[in-house]
Amino acid sequence: MANPTVRVLYIDDEENNLQAFRAAFRRQYEIYTALSAAEGLKIMQHIDIHVVLADQKMPNTTGVEFFKSIVKTHPDPVRILLTGYTDIEALADAINHGDIYRYVAKPWNDLELHNSMKNAYDSYVARADLKNKITELEKTNDELNRFIYSISHELRAPLVSVIGIINLVKMEGLYNSSGEYWNLIETCSNKLDYYIQKTLQYYKNAKDVPDHNEINFDALVRELIELHTYSDKETKFNVNINQEVKFTGDAFRIEVILSNLISNAIKYQKTNELNKMVNIDIDVNEFEAKININDNGLGILKEHLEKIFTQFFKSKIHHGTGLGLFIVKEALNKINGTINVSSNIEDGTTFKITIPNAK
Amino acid sequence: MPNRTGKVLLIDDNDIDLKINSKVIKLSDFFDEIILCQSGEEGIEYINKNLDHPELLPDFILLDIQMPEMDGFEFLEIYKHFPKTFLDRCKLAILSSTLDFGDIKKAEANPLVIKLLKKPLYPNELKELLSRNSSLLGI
Repeated sequence: MANPTVRVLYIDDEENNLQAFRAAFRRQYEIYTALSAAEGLKIMQHIDIHVVLADQKMPNTTGVEFFKSIVKTHPDPVRILLTGYTDIEALADAINHGDIYRYVAKPWNDLELHNSMKNAYDSYVARADLKNKITELEKTNDELNRFIYSISHELRAPLVSVIGIINLVKMEGLYNSSGEYWNLIETCSNKLDYYIQKTLQYYKNAKDVPDHNEINFDALVRELIELHTYSDKETKFNVNINQEVKFTGDAFRIEVILSNLISNAIKYQKTNELNKMVNIDIDVNEFEAKININDNGLGILKEHLEKIFTQFFKSKIHHGTGLGLFIVKEALNKINGTINVSSNIEDGTTFKITIPNAK
Repeated sequence: MPNRTGKVLLIDDNDIDLKINSKVIKLSDFFDEIILCQSGEEGIEYINKNLDHPELLPDFILLDIQMPEMDGFEFLEIYKHFPKTFLDRCKLAILSSTLDFGDIKKAEANPLVIKLLKKPLYPNELKELLSRNSSLLGI
């Protein structure tokens, strides 16, 4: 296997040193030499150098001064400082400001210097790899953002048009004109829309760093209830919110959490229950918000309780996407919240949530 | 209940949605005239052209957000410079299928937007919004 070409630049004002260096290393490295910092810089401007060595003691510009001067313009080459005498101050300066990888004493030992240069090159490659990976990741991230955006617009817009047409069909009294076909179309469209919405919530939660907004729980809860009871007004809500202090949290995630739980509380009611009830109690103090959402709905089987927060868990009888509670849990994880659930088939389900006040 | 409140202007690049929404409004009988514009530019032009003919101007505007070239927010940037007499009597709501949290926040923060309605347009939602703003609509 051919070794990669490692380009090394050595700057020293003594021609003898440069010659000795070339003689010792020309077989292993592609070597460039310069008699001054200015000359060295000129080479770096034209050639992609991997490892640059400079003597500390040079007229005009010292090695450390040279390294300092190229920190911004040539950040990639890995630097090694050669110096014949131990000057602690110069060394400290070199390490603190010149971004030096190694310090080698003069006269050098060939093996030691070879190892230093080899390690320096490895470090160069590792840094370059990391840089490429970061660029790649940024690109992927950017594509994901655009993908999410296009799902939320391009993919959903036509679906919403379909749902709009179904509503028109209802308004014009044609809904039952073709047996159950319109109803089937409506069911499928709603299901698809629900999936799109949950997928977006999931990605947005996974990706974004928590945001800090002021939360008014009363307004938020009322808005969400209005939204979810639009098509089904049978369920009665008892809302009890005690918020006297300012609460700061991630508005998007808190909305996602409450929205999914409220929607579940409505969705999983007993069909023959005459008194469908959901109680929402929220108590806010300066440290946290405690939220209780209780319903007298179907309840969750004991053996299912542990699984409800896992992705794609759904019970056999009730068709959901298996994403709602999974997203709730993921969102709470992101904002250091907790969730507990207790449930039985007789009394329905209670979710207890705490969300820290990020004030 | 609001009835026959005048003119509504729908701005949406999607002609299917224009068709659906104008049908919903027609069937609900909320307005006696529906003006359709397929772009923000067209909407601006319509208002501009009729500033001297207030009887032709809309009382209510339903504006889409995602449109090519001039989107809903860009429309609002130009719209806000229309004479105050017009802006006072015409109310504007956004009608969009967006789920983008940024878009929603931005729409809600704009003082000219009285509400962000989500597609599909439900007659009940529109009715509620219109009754809440009935005085403003000059009924």
